[in-house]
Amino acid sequence: MAAETPASTAAEPLIQVEKFNYAYGDNQVLFDVDLNMSSEDVTALIGPSGCGKSTLLRSINRINDLVDSARVVSGKIKIDGIDLYAPDVDVISLRRNVGMVFQKYNPFPRSIFENAVYGLRVAGVKDRHDLEEAAERSLRSAALWDEVKDRLHEVATGLSGGQQQRLCIARAIALQPRILLMDEPCAALDPIATARIEELIHQLRGQYTFVIVTHNMEQAKRIADRTAFFYKGRLIEEDDTMNIFNHPRDPQTESYITGRLT
Amino acid sequence: MNSPTTPSRPPLRSVLLRSRKRTILGVDPQKLIKYFFGSNASVAIIVLVLIMVFLLREGIDFLPTYQRELQTYRRAGLEFCDIIDQPLQRNQALSSSLRQAVSASLETLSKTARDWRDAAFLLKRQVEDKTARPRESLTQALEKTPPAPEQIEVFRRELGEASAAAAKALDYPAVFGTAEREQLQREFAALTPEVTDLPPLLQTLAAEFSAKDREARTKFASLVQAQEEFEEATEPLQEVVDELKAKALETKEKAVEFDVLETNRLRLLEAAATETDAKEKASLTKEAAESVSEAVNLEKSIQEITGRTAELREQVEKYAVVIEKAAAVLPQDAGTGAARALVNEVREGIPAHAREMRAAAATLEGWRWDKPVSIFSVIGAFFFGTQWITNSSWQDFFGFVPLLSGSLVIAAIAILIATPVSVVAAIYTNQFASEREKEMIKPVIEFIQAIPSVVLGFIGISLVGNLIKDVSEWSWLQWVPGFPIQERLNMFNAGCLLAFMAVPTMFSLSEDALNNVPRAYIDASDALGATKLQTVFRVIVPAGISGILSAILLGLGRVVGETMVVLLVAGNRIAIPDFSAGPGVIFHPAHTLTGIIAQELGEVSRGSSHWQALFMVGIVLFAISLLVNWCARAVARRFEPHKA
Repeated sequence: MAAETPASTAAEPLIQVEKFNYAYGDNQVLFDVDLNMSSEDVTALIGPSGCGKSTLLRSINRINDLVDSARVVSGKIKIDGIDLYAPDVDVISLRRNVGMVFQKYNPFPRSIFENAVYGLRVAGVKDRHDLEEAAERSLRSAALWDEVKDRLHEVATGLSGGQQQRLCIARAIALQPRILLMDEPCAALDPIATARIEELIHQLRGQYTFVIVTHNMEQAKRIADRTAFFYKGRLIEEDDTMNIFNHPRDPQTESYITGRLT
Repeated sequence: MNSPTTPSRPPLRSVLLRSRKRTILGVDPQKLIKYFFGSNASVAIIVLVLIMVFLLREGIDFLPTYQRELQTYRRAGLEFCDIIDQPLQRNQALSSSLRQAVSASLETLSKTARDWRDAAFLLKRQVEDKTARPRESLTQALEKTPPAPEQIEVFRRELGEASAAAAKALDYPAVFGTAEREQLQREFAALTPEVTDLPPLLQTLAAEFSAKDREARTKFASLVQAQEEFEEATEPLQEVVDELKAKALETKEKAVEFDVLETNRLRLLEAAATETDAKEKASLTKEAAESVSEAVNLEKSIQEITGRTAELREQVEKYAVVIEKAAAVLPQDAGTGAARALVNEVREGIPAHAREMRAAAATLEGWRWDKPVSIFSVIGAFFFGTQWITNSSWQDFFGFVPLLSGSLVIAAIAILIATPVSVVAAIYTNQFASEREKEMIKPVIEFIQAIPSVVLGFIGISLVGNLIKDVSEWSWLQWVPGFPIQERLNMFNAGCLLAFMAVPTMFSLSEDALNNVPRAYIDASDALGATKLQTVFRVIVPAGISGILSAILLGLGRVVGETMVVLLVAGNRIAIPDFSAGPGVIFHPAHTLTGIIAQELGEVSRGSSHWQALFMVGIVLFAISLLVNWCARAVARRFEPHKA
């Protein structure tokens, strides 16, 4: 499904953030964010800690709804033209179509197979054959199949950190989502495991729309087509990654990427 | 960046050497404090060890003591008598079933007449109660010498008025028609102390009932006769058994007395041997010499008993024949359905009973009075003994099974009730409740722990017991096994209250377990499009299962060890619950391991076999608690994948 995404949507961005204001209780964390993300791109969100980039990411699949005091103050996030915070949006369906990978790899304490098919199981798929097929497909996509195919029924927490993170990616793409949100996916991994994840993102680009939060400037340069820089809850600058890193327009962007702004 | 004003500092090597000036009794205070804290921590361990040592020391002597007692039980011939006497007890159960069948059958004919008679007599008594005062005055006046006719007249009038008023105010049951009601009223109003005969209508009613009863007895003559025969059948056999029992008991008492004196004598001699003062020694020796009693010739007296084996067997055989004959004449159609069921039960029970009696008689020959009682059979008699009988004039038995089974059934009921309640409450509080609800639910549930168990005990007696009994009488609930229940104080009642007591522990620990489930799992599940319920049941509960299981086990530990509630509410009948009654058995009363200790330990003499038996029960209880707690810890460790 992801592969058939027509090129015409390049003109019409898949994710549109419009004048988005977001708050935890009285503490507003996003101010008037305007950002378009197109379906073919890998978009990196960068910025110092507490700048609101993770909040924006977590608003796209509305997983922040679970935080008691979190609320949208004003503005919209649209996917394919639909406002995500409209009352008739099916949140469960949204989350099935917008996968998420977290900073700390978090497979369930169950078998590798059960992890891979968890999303399908909760979506009501019962047929053993379908599940096995989906597990193999997603584990292959996540470049994990060859490493785990002989021990699919061993507990997932026995894998190495990098493998566990790739399992989490496999788990997310088993549902064949359109969009994959990644919240610092390599923060807890060593350089080799990081490289493998980045390679995986390269392989999967085009099939999924990636939105990645990262603190690693080099990583953003390596994997992102577009980069957005956030500071104190505001979007400071958004452009092609090369432009951001080579010719930043805003002095704050420049001081951040050169390590003078924290 | 030192400024020139920095004060001069002491040379480094003088600082590096530790100053040892400040010591307490030559010890470094730091160490002293460490020892202080360490010793406080070890107090708990020391106390635990002391408890174990103390329990074992008091309890372990039980086995040899009980062995001696069982030895005497055998040698004096009590065991011999019990071979026949025990199965003979079954006769009473069968008899009482038959008696019930007889009265149920008779009632089919005479019930209406009896109800009338009883109702009329009840009314009469009510009138008499209400007019007690004027009646008393009149009686006194009548007895007075010399008589005072005027006074008597006044009292008589007063009594007449009072009786008339009382008779009028009565609440007449509907069984009496208008005419009868009026006649009764008249008769009641005319009641005076001089007339001792019953009023005519009452006489008629009584006569009617007698007639009906006679008629019923003729109609069910064969049943009545069978019942009488069956009841009388035991008499000749029981007579022989009682004779033997008396003889055996006499022997046993003598043997026990001899034992006491002999022990005393040996102790005195021992004291005399170590005594240095010559005068004291002489007096001790003399006392010892006086303490001598005649040794019982066990062999001779046992032969008096076993010598009658043939006679006993003959009587058993006769008895068996008689009851089998009675069973054969039991009529097929005995009044109501209930009576028929009872009769059938007896008809089937009798041949089994007869077989049992014959088998018992056969074992008499093989019985040997001088066969020693091994320590293993004593252990077996304790752990698998089915009778807990104490302070008996015949023989004390310390069998553990009735208490254990009571404790286990009650604990099982409590856990079955408390587990769903506390786990579901924990899931709700942890996952669905708002902050405000959490703030309300948690302290309330935890407050339950603060209720003294004795208070819960009388809630069980006064409230839960009546509630269960009333509910069990609702007609649309009669499909529940055991309904309607007989006893308000029963295992189910105790189980309910214990469940209530276990809920706070289990709730808090389960809630902690759910709380400890990493947030990351929940996020992952939500991000994959799981609904709240799916997340709870597919991720949170499985991840917290070890904590939940361990909470259940700790709840079990608490329930098994709880004393006050079971003592007050479980009904305290020392018998193995009648599991043949099916699931309805939970509505039977029982006694427990904890309850028996609490109830009996205060009343037994220190060091007696009963005292030691209670300590044995304590040891087992202690072992069970240790085991349960150990399991809880093992479970908590076993399934903790997210901490691996």
